[in-house]
Amino acid sequence: MRTLLLLLVVLAIVAPARALTWMHRGGGDPTLKNLLLSAAPGDTIVIEGTVAEGALVIEKRLTLWGRPGAVIDGLNEDDALLVKADSVEVRGLTFRNPRRSNLDDKAGLKVANCTGARIVGNHFDHCFFAIYLSGAKGALVQGNTVQGRPGEEESMANGIHLWKCSAARILDNWVEYHRDGIYFEFVTGSTIERNTTMHNLRYGLHFMFSNNDAYMDNHFERNGAGVAVMFSKQIVMKRNHFLANRGASAYGLLLKEINDGEISDNEFVDNTTGIMVDGCNRLEVRSNTFRSNGWALRLFANATGSSFRGNTFAGNTFDLSTNGSLMLNTVEGNYWDRYTGYDLDRDGTGDVPHRPLGFFTLLVERQPYAMVFSRSLFVALLDRAERLLPSLTPEAMKDDRPRMRPPGTTAKVEKPAGTVMARRSVPSSMLFAWLLLACSMPYFAAHG
Amino acid sequence: MGKVFKYTLIDLARNRFVLGYALLMLALSQGLFLLEDDPMKAMLSLVQVVLALVPLIALVFTVVYLYDIQEFTQLLAVQPIARQSILGGQLLALATALLVAQGFGLGLPLLVHAPGPSALMLSLSGSALVLVFAALGALIALRQREKARGVGMALVLWLGFVLVYDAMLMWLMFTTSDYPVEPFVVPLAALNPIDLARILVMLEIDLAAMMGYSGAVYKSFFGSAAGMAMAGAILISWVLMPTWGAFRVFRKKDL
Amino acid sequence: MAEPRVTCEGLGKRYGELWALRGADLTFHKREVVMLIGPNASGKTTLIKCLLGLVHPTEGRIIVEDTVIDARAPQPDYRNSIGYMPQISQFPPSLTIAQLFAMMADVRGLAPDQLDDRLIAELGLDRQLDKRLSTLSGGTRQKVSAVLAFRTHPTILVMDEPTAGLDPVSAARVLKEAGALRDGGGTVLITSHLMEEVEALADRVAYLEDGALRFLLPMNDILERTGATRLAQGLPRLLEQMNEPRPTH
Repeated sequence: MRTLLLLLVVLAIVAPARALTWMHRGGGDPTLKNLLLSAAPGDTIVIEGTVAEGALVIEKRLTLWGRPGAVIDGLNEDDALLVKADSVEVRGLTFRNPRRSNLDDKAGLKVANCTGARIVGNHFDHCFFAIYLSGAKGALVQGNTVQGRPGEEESMANGIHLWKCSAARILDNWVEYHRDGIYFEFVTGSTIERNTTMHNLRYGLHFMFSNNDAYMDNHFERNGAGVAVMFSKQIVMKRNHFLANRGASAYGLLLKEINDGEISDNEFVDNTTGIMVDGCNRLEVRSNTFRSNGWALRLFANATGSSFRGNTFAGNTFDLSTNGSLMLNTVEGNYWDRYTGYDLDRDGTGDVPHRPLGFFTLLVERQPYAMVFSRSLFVALLDRAERLLPSLTPEAMKDDRPRMRPPGTTAKVEKPAGTVMARRSVPSSMLFAWLLLACSMPYFAAHG
Repeated sequence: MGKVFKYTLIDLARNRFVLGYALLMLALSQGLFLLEDDPMKAMLSLVQVVLALVPLIALVFTVVYLYDIQEFTQLLAVQPIARQSILGGQLLALATALLVAQGFGLGLPLLVHAPGPSALMLSLSGSALVLVFAALGALIALRQREKARGVGMALVLWLGFVLVYDAMLMWLMFTTSDYPVEPFVVPLAALNPIDLARILVMLEIDLAAMMGYSGAVYKSFFGSAAGMAMAGAILISWVLMPTWGAFRVFRKKDL
Repeated sequence: MAEPRVTCEGLGKRYGELWALRGADLTFHKREVVMLIGPNASGKTTLIKCLLGLVHPTEGRIIVEDTVIDARAPQPDYRNSIGYMPQISQFPPSLTIAQLFAMMADVRGLAPDQLDDRLIAELGLDRQLDKRLSTLSGGTRQKVSAVLAFRTHPTILVMDEPTAGLDPVSAARVLKEAGALRDGGGTVLITSHLMEEVEALADRVAYLEDGALRFLLPMNDILERTGATRLAQGLPRLLEQMNEPRPTH
């Protein structure tokens, strides 16, 4: 090994014009700091063992490769590694102990004001900020694992933090136990794909003032809230999974002041609120599945010009709720498991409109403690009455073309036309069945 | 007590009403699970059925059965055994028969189609409701001599628990919404055994919504070990108090 | 001299404002059949229910074989010696006759060899032992009831309208059995309408009216005093005599 290093050094001296590969073993001589200074642009440094030299800075185009088990320990001095040059690649390293400071943002790995950084396959162990991109263009962050520690989220900053970046690609990363999993502020033209964020204190993914971005195929589970998208335009959100984001102010997806977003083919399961829409315009919410959420969709009255089509609502405590009476959005062609209508012409669309806003939904909106009556017989009767004779729910709040079955599923068996009426929904017939039974009880009692 | 229990149970095991109850529950739960594509949805429908139907049947059946064997109870009371043993045996047999019927008609399909904590909680709450309303039925049947009036009282009581109580509580909640009475709504609801059973099941099924802004209250109320112990204590006292009353009445009663 | 078996002292029962029975002092002896008669609501049923421990007396006390029965909480043991054949016989509907017999023996803790089951065959129940009680006619249920009353060798037998609903042959058989019980030293109390079969058996007659005991007299006395051959004739005459002012000596 020593010989190899000597050989490399000799080579470096003999042929300075060619890209060289340097070996560095943690604690060895020269220090990595010196090596970073002495290496030429385009060189590669391979690192072994634990480098505990405090804050490191890269100011030229270098590639840092960690061999298995290689660690960069920041010794709580500053950023553990600061990249200030274009086209730097950092791969396979474990970072720990950047300085913790609430005054300035210190990270395991910070990339500042440069282009084309590649951060691949690194591990961030309990770093304050893990990956921090500031003013970076065209950065690639792929396959990193970022882990805080359970119970210490309060003292952690964001996992992957981007500020004033463009054309970034955040792919295949895993972030847990931080404040926000992934944070975007003033980031444009970037994509976030196939990441998993779990157990973060605040949001799994957080957008602020970021336009023309897309996130696809990500998995957000058990965060304080799944994803918050705020004050942003033209965001595309596709095929993501929002799971079990529960709590008093927890949402699968919180949209605040968003214009022209597209939300399609996502899955929202077991969240306190699936999507919360506050002050958004021209959103297209299409082909999503909402299952077993508390509120599938909470729509503030200040949301306008948005469309909700082809979504599936099943097993939610409330499918839809709103705080106003005005409805300036389109809700059409969705599947609602609560729909009790029929389809006489067999076109797959119910013949009577569905009113997703129940009486009980409004009650709970006005008086949250009314939740204690959820699914009580009294509430069921009130809800039925309200659906038959709407008096309190907004007239426009209805789906005129409710689907008979979830999009993407086909009819199991085509029934002959004569039995069409039989296909009323089961719960309503159940309700009648037992009411009938209740009424016949005294008869049984008298003749039992 | 054991002897009365044994033979009353033999009698109940072949009682058409008990068999009918088991089959009805089986048809209901099985039918729901087969008709619904989504077991979750079937489960939710089943919750409403169970919460309303189980108390009604336990109540009315207990009342009717105790009236029907009134004369035989007289004959037993002439035998050299204590009255407590007679009533104890009969009530125990009634509870056992109803629980077994329900286990077969409700528990079994739940186990097959939707095993999990929600199903377990539904079965447990349903069983607790059987015990509570059988006890209430016994008290009615022993206090009220006339069968028709007894059945009438049972129906009124059922309606009160299943509907009127909630209606009144909700009315109270909205008319006094200017005052901070909300925190009392949960404990007040929990005093009604049907509401309590429903809340316990909902804590499993509607967990996501229960975790919402108001839900945190329920979760802290019932989600903790102390809360569950309290819920259990409320249900148990709903069983024990009417049972104790029934024994008191029966001990002094002129048959 | 007849030995007392059951003594009632000032026995009274009030339902609300109404005294169903009041001031009943009477003694039933060993080796006798007493017939309890009286109009409807005269207190007959209340009297026997007090004796059986079904009804708790408001006042007075009952002594059975030297033991005072605590009216508030009657100790169950004294009922070991009691047999009871109620007027209406309702049983757990889905039990079979055999199961019912087993149950009642179990409740008393008696083994089969301690029971007298001759009546089962003699009343023709042996062929129906596996039938459910709900499928039986009223008469058959009365027979079941009779078997239950006799089979535990009671020393006090209480029968409420025992012949109602029974066919004449079975009724005669049941009364014959009651007579045999008396002859063996037992005390038999029968409430009944005026029935020849019962009259023939009765040693004494107790007459109740409006909750009060009018008389308790030997059958022979009644017939002698009134010169009647049947109770049906003698009873009105006796009541007439009792209402007349007594001749002063």
